[in-house]
Amino acid sequence: MRKHGLLLSAALCASLLLFALSSCSGGEHDDLYVYNWGEYISDGSEDSLNVTEEFEAYYEELTGRPMKVHYTTYPSNEDMYAKISGGTSNYDVIIPSDYMIERMIGEGLLSEIDIEAVCEKYGAECYYEYIGDDYRGLFYDPEDKYSVPYTYGRVGVIYNKTMVDEEDLGGWELLWNEKYAGKILQFNNSRDGFATAMYMAGDDVNSTDPEVWRRAQAEMLRQKPIIQSYVMDEIYNKMESGEAAISAYYAGDYFTMLDINEDLGFYYPERTNVFVDAMCVPAGSANKEAAQLFINFMLSPEIAIANAEYIYYASPNSLVFEDEGYIEDMGEEAMEILYPEGFSFADELNTYAYKNLDAKTLELVNSLWEDMKITGGLPASVYVTAAVLAAAVAALIIAAAVRRRRRARWY
Amino acid sequence: MAARGTRGQGLMARAAASPHIVWSVLFIIAPLLFVVYYTFTDADGAFTTENVSRLFTSNYVLIFVNSVCLAFIATVICLVIAYPTAYLFSRMKAKRQRAAVLLIMIPLWMNFLITTYSWMTLLEDTGIINSALRRIGLGAAHMINTPGAVVVGMVFCFLPYMILPIYTVMSGIDEKLLEASADLGCNGWQRLVRVVMPMSLSGVVSGITMVFVPSISTFYISQKLGGGTFQLIGDTIESYFVGSAINYHFGAALSLVLMVLILISMAVMNHYTDSESGERTKMV
Amino acid sequence: MNGKKLIELRGITKAFDGEVVLDNISLDIYEDEFITLLGPSGCGKTTTLRIIGGFETPDKGDVIFDGKRINDTPPHKRHINTVFQKYALFPHLNVYENIAFGLRVSGLKDEEEISRRVREMLEMVNLRGFERRHVTKLSGGQQQRVAIARALINKPRVLLLDEPLGALDLKLRKDMQNELKGMQKRTGITFIYVTHDQEEALSMSDTVVVMNNGSIMQIGTPTDIYNEPSNAYVADFIGESNIVDGVMLDDYSVKLAGHTFVCVDKGFGKNTPVDVVIRPEDVDVVPTAEGELCGHVVSVTFKGVHYEVIVDIDGFKWMIQTTDYVAPDTDIGVKIEPDAFHIMNKSEYSGMFGDYSSFSDELDQLSENGGEDD
Repeated sequence: MRKHGLLLSAALCASLLLFALSSCSGGEHDDLYVYNWGEYISDGSEDSLNVTEEFEAYYEELTGRPMKVHYTTYPSNEDMYAKISGGTSNYDVIIPSDYMIERMIGEGLLSEIDIEAVCEKYGAECYYEYIGDDYRGLFYDPEDKYSVPYTYGRVGVIYNKTMVDEEDLGGWELLWNEKYAGKILQFNNSRDGFATAMYMAGDDVNSTDPEVWRRAQAEMLRQKPIIQSYVMDEIYNKMESGEAAISAYYAGDYFTMLDINEDLGFYYPERTNVFVDAMCVPAGSANKEAAQLFINFMLSPEIAIANAEYIYYASPNSLVFEDEGYIEDMGEEAMEILYPEGFSFADELNTYAYKNLDAKTLELVNSLWEDMKITGGLPASVYVTAAVLAAAVAALIIAAAVRRRRRARWY
Repeated sequence: MAARGTRGQGLMARAAASPHIVWSVLFIIAPLLFVVYYTFTDADGAFTTENVSRLFTSNYVLIFVNSVCLAFIATVICLVIAYPTAYLFSRMKAKRQRAAVLLIMIPLWMNFLITTYSWMTLLEDTGIINSALRRIGLGAAHMINTPGAVVVGMVFCFLPYMILPIYTVMSGIDEKLLEASADLGCNGWQRLVRVVMPMSLSGVVSGITMVFVPSISTFYISQKLGGGTFQLIGDTIESYFVGSAINYHFGAALSLVLMVLILISMAVMNHYTDSESGERTKMV
Repeated sequence: MNGKKLIELRGITKAFDGEVVLDNISLDIYEDEFITLLGPSGCGKTTTLRIIGGFETPDKGDVIFDGKRINDTPPHKRHINTVFQKYALFPHLNVYENIAFGLRVSGLKDEEEISRRVREMLEMVNLRGFERRHVTKLSGGQQQRVAIARALINKPRVLLLDEPLGALDLKLRKDMQNELKGMQKRTGITFIYVTHDQEEALSMSDTVVVMNNGSIMQIGTPTDIYNEPSNAYVADFIGESNIVDGVMLDDYSVKLAGHTFVCVDKGFGKNTPVDVVIRPEDVDVVPTAEGELCGHVVSVTFKGVHYEVIVDIDGFKWMIQTTDYVAPDTDIGVKIEPDAFHIMNKSEYSGMFGDYSSFSDELDQLSENGGEDD
């Protein structure tokens, strides 16, 4: 027994050691840890370009050292923030949304970057200049010291043409239309969810006035009974299959769904969220230069176009939206939706983007959201069933106990 | 000389056991302490009981009640299905028994997230079951995003955990005891009620624990099959830790209360079965 | 025993996995009888018991109880109860409830009546005061008595006992043998007892059924079986016996080991080869001059009660039990009274049991393979 114990501990230590060693870079190749949204890069599926593989080849050619890209994804800014702020992981490239970038800059979680300088150091052709002027000096990073824009998008209403009457279309009100009760999807996070109500009311989505938020919550509560489900990723399935008729989501995702279900339509309400996702390098990155080389690589024309065509979101890179091949591939409708005429990006962004809320407001928003989610019990039938079952079980137990007591009296 | 030998032995034994101790401390005790710490502090680190007291407001009490109700119903349904199934299996011929047990185990090999997702496609209004019903002409039944769907998901995911412990205990009941009861006048039904049932109680308690605990803390099943329109404890904890309303303190408080709730119910059940002395299945 | 047939087994045959365990067994069992099925492991005695109890069904043949064929009656409908080899007490019940089990199953609800009868049983097995005890906390003997009480409370017509005393130590076993015998006499219930211990069988039974390899060798009272075994197998199995080749010269005259003896058996014809059984205790040791036969002492073992002496007489090793000391490696004479000879016809079992070179079959085979011929 003792011998076995020793053997076991030795085996355990050995495996732990092996595990630790395997996750260290052995010095044979460089590692880059990229942390991005899901389905947000051309990854080689469906005959598309595999960007990470291309980068590995590019990097080796440029620097003479082999490269391995470790690519992982997150479903929301908050998830990513939790990981980065936790301090235990060391990603090299992350792609947060505008308000999250603002917050992370404020908390010192991002590293300053200088793409042009890194390119010069490595002798790489630099593509930073092709970022359109409209997309520079944005509110969250006024001096462009921490981020490079990747995509931008606008939230709109997606609907199923066969299930929704044309006369009901228009505005956020469609999502509150009782005619379609049980067929409406709503965002499953506080910012986006409340925003739909606040845009509808014409309120400022970055208000610090508790009343504004409470109004929004009231609207959400009013909407709750006709909601089919609070979703994020599940929305694809539900809209594509026709399970739901109405939802709000990003324009680029609309096109992804349209590929599967031709019955879907899209429109922008009068006031709606604009967001920018930008590439950043976390302060804790171990490989900041490779990270910036990657960012630059993402800006190169072939890569940028491949990405833009894959994820369907709008690109701030002029190499993309001025490329004739891209324009033709996208088609008229898509170009209209993604790059509408007369759309002043900076204005819209400043007015309608989510900005960082202060701690007190954030706490209020969170608790209002939770309360809204919690409200509403189960239908009475559930409680009745549970009570009946509980009574039955209790009766059985009591009967058995009584019988035992009665018998035990005789001995 | 002898003393040194034995002391060395003790050290060796302790060293051999140490991985387990290290593991327990790192992954069980330390996290528990963290949870307790977060429960009783606020964002500035000061001591507070507000995290806990806030949980006694009607909203949160409702969540607990909802979770307990659904978990309870799911557990009872599991028990009702599992008990006769386990009994039938335990009375089968050996070869068939092995096949039957394998059938039960196969769903366990699948990740329960996938199981839940498959139930979504089964239960949706445009899903498989409804498509079939419509084709027969029976019209559609709205099943998804209801508490019923959540219960179905729970039962399906956790049923094997109820069947297996009961089956194990039942098949361990010595054949001779059943013969003895038949000898004394028990027909098939009486054998079940008078011998098998009291002796399989420990299996039932294990099964109940293994179904009730995950049911009450589930979050994925309730989101995917319940639609997120009613929250259970698991959903709320998730949203406090990684979801849309990050607040480790509330999350910890909620987790702690859930833990205490589960411990209490387990203690009650154990007390009940101890006084039953239904532990032994072997003959005397 | 009052002569009324209670159970009849007619031509019972049973095979497990192609192996025949019971081969055309027929047996009559009477009311108020203590009957023992005796034989070595694998002879089919337990299977017979289980068929009577209803736990096995015979492939061929009938089980008749009180004139009615009960082959298809399940155990819980038969008026037969069983005391199992390892008692099979219900571990989740205390002594009282174990005993009361049969009553409750039969639907008796009157707690007072149940209490009265349970205490009656406890009294009978000498376990008064043990009501609340848990069966796991009892000694082997106590558990056994609870098992008996539990079986008898239903007042069955027949009680089956499957080697119930095997796990007890010697003195307790002897006590229990007496108790069981007494219980049978008092209650008048037919006890069907299964054992491989021939001493036990002889001391307790009214009737002994010797079984071997799925067949019945002999049925009779203990004295009959002992004194007049019908073939070599029974002679060898029951007690110690010297089974010697002999020739029945004429009535009352038998020749063996080169000497002609007077005996009390007749009717075997003239010059018929026979098996002669002489019990070890019936052989007297005398000085060589006075002996009817002479032999060389091979070994002497002190058994407390007597000396066990192995003597080589005419190439065949005899066993003699005597209270006189005999020195090993000497020559002695033996004398045998006429009525000590028991003559049996030759049968398929003749010559199977060798001499006292060894006691068991296994060592017999070893000595056959390796040793000198006798």
